[in-house]
Amino acid sequence: MPRRGLLNRLLRLREASILAVGIVLVVYFRAANPYFLTDANLETLSQFIAATAIIACGEIMLLICGEIDLSAGHVFALAPFVMHFLDEAGLPMPAALVLALGGCAVVGLINGLITVRLRVPSFVTTLGTFSLLNGFTLTISHGSPVETGDEGGFADAFGAGGYSEIIWAVAIALGVHFVLRQTRWGLYTIAAGGNPEGAAEAGIRVGRIKVGNFVLTSVLGGFAGILEAFRIGSTDPLAGGTAIMFLAVAAGVIGGTPLAGGSGTVLGGLVGAAVLGVLRDGFTLQGINAFTFDMILGAAILVAMVANIHVGRLRRRV
Amino acid sequence: MTAPALRVEAITKRFGALTALDGVTMGVDEGEILGILGDNGAGKSTLMKVITGYHPPTSGEVFVRGEKVALRSVDHARSLGIDCVYQDLALVNGLSVAHNLFLNREILRRFPPRMLDNPAMRRRAAAVLADIGVNIPDVDAEVQHLSGGQRQAIAVARAVSGQARILLLDEPLAAMGAREAALIIELIRRLRAKGGLAIVMVMHNYAQTLDLADRIILMQHGTITYERRTAETSVEELLSIVRREYQAVGPH
Amino acid sequence: MTKQNKFAVGRRLAVGGAALAPALALLAGHPALAALPSHPRWKLVFVNHVTTNPFFVPTQYGIQDACAAFGCDYQWTGSATSNAAEMVNAMNAAIAAKVDAIAVSLVDPVAFDRPIERAFAAGIPVFSYNADAPKSARLAYIGQDLYKSGVMMGERIVSLIPSGVVALFIATPGQLNIQPRIDGAQDAIKQSGKPIQAEVVATGPTVDEELSRIRAWYIGHQEAKGMFAVDAGSTQGVSEVIRSMNLVAKGMHGGGFDLLPRTLTNIHDGALDFTIDQQPYLQGFYTVMEMVTWLLSGGLTGPAEINTGLKFVTRETVGPYLTTSTRYEGKTDKEAVVPRPAKV
Repeated sequence: MPRRGLLNRLLRLREASILAVGIVLVVYFRAANPYFLTDANLETLSQFIAATAIIACGEIMLLICGEIDLSAGHVFALAPFVMHFLDEAGLPMPAALVLALGGCAVVGLINGLITVRLRVPSFVTTLGTFSLLNGFTLTISHGSPVETGDEGGFADAFGAGGYSEIIWAVAIALGVHFVLRQTRWGLYTIAAGGNPEGAAEAGIRVGRIKVGNFVLTSVLGGFAGILEAFRIGSTDPLAGGTAIMFLAVAAGVIGGTPLAGGSGTVLGGLVGAAVLGVLRDGFTLQGINAFTFDMILGAAILVAMVANIHVGRLRRRV
Repeated sequence: MTAPALRVEAITKRFGALTALDGVTMGVDEGEILGILGDNGAGKSTLMKVITGYHPPTSGEVFVRGEKVALRSVDHARSLGIDCVYQDLALVNGLSVAHNLFLNREILRRFPPRMLDNPAMRRRAAAVLADIGVNIPDVDAEVQHLSGGQRQAIAVARAVSGQARILLLDEPLAAMGAREAALIIELIRRLRAKGGLAIVMVMHNYAQTLDLADRIILMQHGTITYERRTAETSVEELLSIVRREYQAVGPH
Repeated sequence: MTKQNKFAVGRRLAVGGAALAPALALLAGHPALAALPSHPRWKLVFVNHVTTNPFFVPTQYGIQDACAAFGCDYQWTGSATSNAAEMVNAMNAAIAAKVDAIAVSLVDPVAFDRPIERAFAAGIPVFSYNADAPKSARLAYIGQDLYKSGVMMGERIVSLIPSGVVALFIATPGQLNIQPRIDGAQDAIKQSGKPIQAEVVATGPTVDEELSRIRAWYIGHQEAKGMFAVDAGSTQGVSEVIRSMNLVAKGMHGGGFDLLPRTLTNIHDGALDFTIDQQPYLQGFYTVMEMVTWLLSGGLTGPAEINTGLKFVTRETVGPYLTTSTRYEGKTDKEAVVPRPAKV
């Protein structure tokens, strides 16, 4: 009896369906290519997943409370530059990193205050800020990429080391998941998205929750950008952008966080990012050419998501 | 004789040129169920908002348990025991019964500090619901899966468990079938029987109100035009008063 | 003169190679008759920075033809938006898949260092094509001498425009396949000592954006005497702006790189003074040849730097490009041998 209960509870998890889809994909790619589960590819695969997963954690919290941040991919490009300039100015790299994240927090604060106080829909607010950030990054960098400082051990811990990115991603996902499920912040985030008037009625400071989640997302976006800059050794003004923001939001949605808000799952977003990463890495490994790549990727995403929704429906009947 | 749980005297509320309440005086005793009736625009919700501290009155006074108070905010009113269950219920769909019950009043662990104590909340929630006779088997279920009657019961339970002494209910039986309405009516009667609570209900349905309330007041155009113990009046009489007003004023 | 001959030879080689392709493919199945020793179908991966850019269509044809000729398979992958991280991911996937050789357009000075190290550690040779990084450990570079091509463009600019404001458009500054051209052009202009004020303007990585930006720049600088570009999309944009706003009548000069169809048409119609052909077909074909010879000999022969050359295409010489629709310029995928001109 207890064993049946555990299986039942696993199946009832909101993340069960996307997890099932992920497992099927891994089995498929392993069958299609013997190198899929080798050490070398697992490391590559983890690098396909990590940055998207980290940004997804922030976007999921925002989606839950009814907002979105389109500028996360652009603080992604800006943060490593800020870190670079602080490093050039003589600060030790760890301090430069922390201050760069502080700068990202300020960006998040601006996003949040404009959305909450000036009552601009967050889609529009962050549309404006991402253009601003893009131009700002291009200006301070003169449009040219620079070499990311190579600090040996420090760089290894923050992206250069093979599995360091995915370790950060999992740690961050667990942390945000904990906040969502075990703290008042998480509860109030859900309330702010599910019933903002009702939540305000009950005395919850909905505005403060939203601003806080904007700050979280910008900091995570900047951190992901810094990790990637250490990984490839180059800080590029064109890095990230709307493409990675979109991937992060997509990871959240396919992981089980509805765009409409009011509920969500961070662990599901991690699995969603993994599914997207498995698809992209798996098809590249198989040698699919760039022109047909997007077609095949698109078809695969549709198939995977249809399966996801239907398994989800089955789950609810269990 | 003990002071009424709540009493308002000569409350007037103006919004610019519009007078929403014009010299309203009413009160409710502990252990009493008061029904407030009236058409839309009569001033019922404005009166509720003044009592719950949402709107300060333009003039007039509020007494809670005999003491004059100036209600600064909804939180302040709540701290004095005045709580309202609104039509939209202020329940959050994505959260469980227990979490809704304790919204903004969560039970926290001692260690690790400031973390939610979910097991404790589940136990307390089950106890609170059992205490007022509401049957909800799984306090971990998300409220969106519950029926209208169960949701209303949880909203009421939240107000009650929060040490409310003066409970206001805004259309508690709205959009409910007969069976569910009966359950809520039973719940409200049990609350009265428990003691320590003054209940004010804003309602539309005269028959249900007369069935449940001890006393009713009828509001029209910002004033109270009729007040009677329910035993001493009837639906026909109330309707005739309202009809008289229409005939005097004409349709508009 | 000698330069022209070399290019003609190069073109004939390509033509010859394409003609031989089907024949060699047949022969490969017969070890006794094969032109080369029999070998497994090697997997060659080409990592590119703008995978969907029309400029590289002839490159892909060159790769296809050479792979058919030498019995190999290829993958065309990378990033569509000059995203270095994506390109690094693609390279890492190729290394994990234990492919036989990798070619990458090195558009970032340092991002590919570690992946190249890892490829070498796994026994996979790495070549660069189209763009090169000065300090990279890659085995060889197949492509245009980028700095030199910029110098030659600069000299051409000086010969067309004695003085005034001139724009040098570049899609993405700092990118290694185009930045050296701008550097070369600026140096040549400075060397000449003429009072020419060259402004470097970034136009973005996509063709539609480039056109808008060039137009906007011109409207703000209507006294400019010349507009020149160092990448295919910006060149097309310059030619379009000059044509649609009738700027030749106002004495405007223009020129750039690569052979996008509209660029060629605009040269023919007199809207653009010149474009420079960097022979993208060869960048694909020769790179495959390098990989095959390296693999055949276990690394004992090759690698060799191959300069795929530089050729000015002007109104006088643009004719054949427009009238013939060939695989070598990417305009059609039909296999064909192009008849040689009466005079070289």
